[in-house]
Order: sequence, then C-alpha cells, then structure tokens
Amino acid sequence: MIKIEKLSKFYGKNQVLNSIDLEFEKGKIYGIVGENGAGKTTLFRCISGLENYKGNISSDVTKLKDHLGLLLTEPFFFSKITGKEYIQLLANTRQIELSNIENKNIFDLPLNQYASTYSTGMKKKLALTAILLQQNDVFILDEPFNGVDIQSNLIITEIIKRFKELEKTVIISSHIFSTLADTCDEIYLMKNGEIIKKVKQADFNNLEKEMKEFTIGNRIDKLELK
Amino acid sequence: MIDFGLPLLIGYALLLFVFVLLSNYLFGKTEFAVYAYGLIAFSFVSILSEPRRNDFLKSVYNKYNYKKLRILENILYCLPFTLFLIYKKQFIFSIIINFFVVLITLFNFSTNLNITIPTPFSKKPFEFTVGFRKTFYVFPIAYFLTYISVSVGNFNLGVFSMLLIGITCFSYHSKTENEYFVWNYNLSSKEFLLKKTKTCLTYFLILSLPIIISLGISFFNQINILIVFILLSYAYLTAIIFAKYSSFPNEMSLSQVILIGLSFMFPPILLIFIPLFYSQSIKKLNTILND
Repeated sequence: MIKIEKLSKFYGKNQVLNSIDLEFEKGKIYGIVGENGAGKTTLFRCISGLENYKGNISSDVTKLKDHLGLLLTEPFFFSKITGKEYIQLLANTRQIELSNIENKNIFDLPLNQYASTYSTGMKKKLALTAILLQQNDVFILDEPFNGVDIQSNLIITEIIKRFKELEKTVIISSHIFSTLADTCDEIYLMKNGEIIKKVKQADFNNLEKEMKEFTIGNRIDKLELK
Repeated sequence: MIDFGLPLLIGYALLLFVFVLLSNYLFGKTEFAVYAYGLIAFSFVSILSEPRRNDFLKSVYNKYNYKKLRILENILYCLPFTLFLIYKKQFIFSIIINFFVVLITLFNFSTNLNITIPTPFSKKPFEFTVGFRKTFYVFPIAYFLTYISVSVGNFNLGVFSMLLIGITCFSYHSKTENEYFVWNYNLSSKEFLLKKTKTCLTYFLILSLPIIISLGISFFNQINILIVFILLSYAYLTAIIFAKYSSFPNEMSLSQVILIGLSFMFPPILLIFIPLFYSQSIKKLNTILND
C-alpha cells in the first residue's frame, strides 16, 4: 500500500501540488485524469522519489522506488543503444538476470535496432517492456497509450488487468477515458494540483458525462463554426 | 553569470590557460604529439557533426548557407588547435587539420542508418556500449600505434597509445545521463559508485590489455613506468566518474572541468580531488537513490 499525506510541491513560488491525500492499495488499479498541467506527472515524480516535496509518502516496502516500475510520458533513450540493450540495462539496474529477451518481445519490436530510431509508439512499448521485465510490485504508467497502435493498446490493457490478478498496484494517467474505465478500480480527477474528485468504478459513466460537460461546456460555440 | 562561484569570464580565461598548458605538456612529452593533437582536434570538431543538430540546421538554412555555416563553425572550433600548431611552427599540420575539418562538413551523416555496430560491452552499463560505438575507430589506431612502437622500439609511443584508450574511456564518462537511469538502480549510493567505477576500470583494462602485454614484453625494463601510467589512468577514470556524479543531475560545472584539467598538469592533486568528488557524489546520489 502507498499512503500519501498532505503532499505539496512548489517550483519556486509556483505551487504545482496542493496538500494531496491519497491511498493506493495492493491489487488495485488507479487512474489519474486531469488537464495538461494539472500536476499528474509531478505527482508521479514525487511518489517515485524523483522530486523533493512537502508532506509524507509511505509504503509497506522499505524503499518504494526499488519496487516501482516507472513509465515516463516521453521515455529517454541513448543515441546508440539497441532495444535489447535498453531492456538489459533496466534489468541490470535491479540485478535481474534476463534470458531469451527475444521471446519476451511481446510487441514485436526490432530489438537489434537503435532505440533512438524507434517511433514514439515503439519507444513507449520498449520502455514498457523493460519495466515489465523488472518484476516490480508497483507500476506508475504516465500516458501508456500515447502514440501506441490499437493492437498494442489491447495488449497493454490486458497486461494491466493481469496485474490486478497478480496483486500489483498500478497507477495510470491517460487522456483516453475509455481505457481507464476498462481497467481501473478508482479514478481520481486532478485540477490545479489538487484531487478534486475520487470516483469508484460504479460511477465512471457519470464521471465521463460530468467531465464532458465540465470540460467542453460552451467552449466550442465560441469558435462560431459555420 | 556565475558557475559554482566562479565568474564565467575568469572561467574561460582559466580554460584557455589550461588548454595552453596541456598542449605544451603534450608537445613536451612526445615527439608524436602532433599526431595526437590532430586526433584530439578532429574528435573535438566532430562533436559538431551530430546528425540531429545538422538536420535542424539543414531545415533552417538553404544548402549554400548551411555549408558556409558548417565550414565556418568547424574552422572556429578548430582555431585554438590551429593557433597552437602555428605557434609550434607546425604549419603543414595546421593546414592538414583544417583541410580535414572542412572536409567532414561535406559528408552527410544519415540519422536513419540501420547498421548496429557490434560491441563487446552490450550487457553492462550504457557508458561503454554507447561510447564504444561512437569511438570504435580509435582502438585499431591505438593498437596500430602500439605495433609501430614495438617495431621501432619507441616506448613513449606505446605509452601514448595506451593513454589514447584511457582518454577515450575517460570521454565516455564526461556526459551526465538522464536521472531515470540512476534512479532505477536498487543500490546504495556507495554501491552504485563502486559498480560504475569497477565496470569502467575493468573495461579499460580489457581494451588496453593488448597494449599492456605488448609493451610489458617488449620493454620489460620499463615495466615500472608502464605500471605507473596504468595506475594514473585508473586514477583519472575514477576522478571523472566521481566528478560527474558530484554535480548530478546537472552537467559537470566549468570549475570542475578546470580542476580536472589542472590535475593533468599535477597528478598528485588527484589525491585531494578524488575523495572530494566522492563525498560530493554520495550526497548528490543519496537524493536520487533515496539512500
């Protein structure tokens, strides 16, 4: 379990997270939604320990980061490292011996090519494969469906569902509501660095409706489209 | 603007001073300095041939202006080396180097090359995997220089060829990686630094082993000097790793670069720098490795 209490984050004078209280339980899938700049990525970076923060983040493991698989919105790749070497590199960081990487290439990526030459979607799939093979207990997936083709989308959705069976904790952010509704137990709505709504599975439809009304409102009318 | 308490103008002046000192040192040490100097200058200028950077320039400028700009920037980048060669009365070499730095602007380095250069270091931390692929041509040159040194009985040239490999390995650790690749380690800061250093020193030894063996056999009476140079290479490689992580996740500061430069002039100063950089690295890494 991960428990977040009174989490706040400032960049200079700019407050990006404002006294957030959250709990993520084992074997559950959580979705975080919100507009660009709402603070989702910063929240993930704080949980991961990549950012300093005010407040408290605790978990039932001694060092959360060592059990955490983090998929960044835009994964970084070295210029001359192949897909296979990238997977190997991330496994090495957790002292995991990998064998037959080719067999575990579920997204059919060209593993012997330099990862920097991959398309956006391929990079995402490679980064995801690498953290999956790290054998983590907790996963934070920042926009895992971005730029990914529909077949891979289905695979990722299925993997997330499988994680639930395996008692893993998964936190996902996505702009595609349907994928979150398919996989999550709870969805948290973020705005201006605050969690403004926590919604259980039964109320997902209402949330989508509310979000549409709230987000779209009469904005498009302002364009006076003809 | 100030970089770690050092005004930039003073920093640049110091950098120039260190450059002249190092150049003088190199020319004072070996009669083959001019070749090494050319190679260093060429490696330095080749940084500007980075494909993504050039793709951007091509998209901004027309073909004529792009070529003009590339030739000009390569000549300017090479200027300190050119001026020093002129000062050393190496006029022909200064022309040859400038000819080559202009020549490389005529080649297009495609960003979409599908050739993956094989490397023996693909299973360990990225520094040697990436570095080897970027500088693979240095190794045959170094081994060839060793061959010549043994053939003509020139020990200094042999030592230089080993130092060439040392400098190349040194360059692998000069750039800071994205924090994600440090954060991922489930090691303590101390273990992390130890692992990085151990890998670097082992791989350096593997790469320079053919040279060490050849020189050890051919110049057995000078084996003490050879051992000193191996240990010095180890010390510099350790220093650069610690220096890199002492400012992590930022790039190394100008003052650190100058300190490292100074240590080339006066190696005993490494006895101060290595522990200093080590303790600073531990502090910086503790924040990212949650140690």
